[in-house]
Amino acid sequence: MVLEKKTSARVEGQRRVLDEATRQRRLTRQLDALEKDNFQDDPLSSLPPPGPTARLPAFSENEEPEKKRRKTRGDHFKQRFRKNFTTLLEEENLSEKPEPNYLSAAAPVSSLPPRHFCCVCGFPSHYTCTTCGGRYCSSKCLCTHRETRCLKWTL
Amino acid sequence: MATLVLDNGANTAKIGFSHEAVRVISNCQFRSKTSRLKTFTANQLDEIKDPSGLFYILPFQKGYLVNWDVQRKVWDHLFGKEMFKVDFTDTSILITEPYFNFTSIQESMNEILFEEYQFQSALRTNAGSLSAHHYFHTRPSELCCLLVDSGFSFTHIVPYCRSRKMKEGVRRINVGGKLLTNHLKEIISYRQLHVMDETHVINQVKEDVCYVSQNFCKDMEVAQNKAEENTVMVDYVLPDFSSIKKGFCKPREEMMFTGKYKTGEQILRLVNERFAVPEMLFHPSDIGIQEMGIPEAVVHSIQSLPEEMQPHFYQNIVLTGGNTLFPGYRQRLEAELRSLVPAHLPVSVLQPADPICYSWEGGKLLAHNPDYDEMVVTREDYEEHGHCVCEDKFDL
Ligand SMILES: [Zn+2]
Ligand SMILES: [Zn+2]
Repeated sequence: MVLEKKTSARVEGQRRVLDEATRQRRLTRQLDALEKDNFQDDPLSSLPPPGPTARLPAFSENEEPEKKRRKTRGDHFKQRFRKNFTTLLEEENLSEKPEPNYLSAAAPVSSLPPRHFCCVCGFPSHYTCTTCGGRYCSSKCLCTHRETRCLKWTL
Repeated sequence: MATLVLDNGANTAKIGFSHEAVRVISNCQFRSKTSRLKTFTANQLDEIKDPSGLFYILPFQKGYLVNWDVQRKVWDHLFGKEMFKVDFTDTSILITEPYFNFTSIQESMNEILFEEYQFQSALRTNAGSLSAHHYFHTRPSELCCLLVDSGFSFTHIVPYCRSRKMKEGVRRINVGGKLLTNHLKEIISYRQLHVMDETHVINQVKEDVCYVSQNFCKDMEVAQNKAEENTVMVDYVLPDFSSIKKGFCKPREEMMFTGKYKTGEQILRLVNERFAVPEMLFHPSDIGIQEMGIPEAVVHSIQSLPEEMQPHFYQNIVLTGGNTLFPGYRQRLEAELRSLVPAHLPVSVLQPADPICYSWEGGKLLAHNPDYDEMVVTREDYEEHGHCVCEDKFDL
């Protein structure tokens, strides 16, 4: 009996436990994935190297000589490469601008108690995985969780 | 002079001349596995016979216009000879952009509209302002309305007192249709079939099977029942784009509760996914987004407004955007608000017949308003005064 307990404690001791920062990083990565436009590669990029008739549209310096004719065209084409959402948001420098603005309009944290769902089957869960903090509802789901996701997806 | 009304959403453009009907067209470009060299623009999507694995090129990121080259390709197509044949020198454009749009995006917008396309005049506004115009047009006795605009990128709660947007009451929840579809893709891929590349197909699944629960706990219980007792469970037949062009739910009487179908169709079995996915609009914290859900944020918004106006907002809540179309959405929001708001205040939530085009229709009405000509900035004004005149005139 005593021996058995020791063994399981040792196993518990060996199991890696993710710290809070890692758990947070993992959540952020999951939420970022929900913003993605595509998960597969661009079909065009998976083609063999293009021949002369199948050139990728070029938004390169070639636009430069046209600059005199109309200023904005090249600018906006290049902007695509330069400025994504994060860059534009930083440039707005909103922390120093008067409210209300994009940042201040964000809905605040809910005052309702958090609800927990099994990360395997999606039904309400009562248990927390000691390793990663993920939720599970039954030993069957815990088993699946350990085999599939528990320590995967971590950096 | 004609007026082109363009509600330029991050997923679809709602577009049409103010004397014609609206059309809803994808505001993006696509590439397909079957014709990899061609880039399809906007409604050219209809030419793709097999849209499985469709690759999206979107002009918007997190609800804001950042990819101008993609946006211009779409607009070139929409304004061009295949579609609306716009005569720019004799056309005014009434166009929408998101709340709290970034200054640099606003300036790019001015440049593109006036310098590139050379529209005769332009009025830039928020979709919500057009919806409010629509609402007050149909209910002239009302003074206030609160829009709940739940679209592709996010959900906004925006109070209007007549034509005045009350910026201090605007609330944004970072949950929209795109997140819901991606979440559904993710859980289906984990639980039964890899569909991460099938945005187009799974978005259709979402529209066909998802609903907003009226009693979340009870639906969770029913969804755990076995076989025939499980009234939440549906089997969805996926399209193969040859014999099955569009997915559909198996009729209940044809469902096989035990064993496999012998028909060779590819089936998704959907149970708690059906209501747990739209639930994110009401409880973003269920997936770790630490924000209020819609009912709570509505109350938070209204409580930030002058007390004497608050009863008017609770009585004039208007739902717009594609997520409004989930069955049960309006009822759930009204019921939750009823429980959150003091009993002596009436609560009324209105769902327009077409929540996607409600703001476009408002734009159409505005274009026919006698004041419209005074609200626009002409190309002449812009050439003389630049961005300042737009900044002064447009309420963004
Ligand atoms: Zn479970
Ligand atoms: Zn775990």
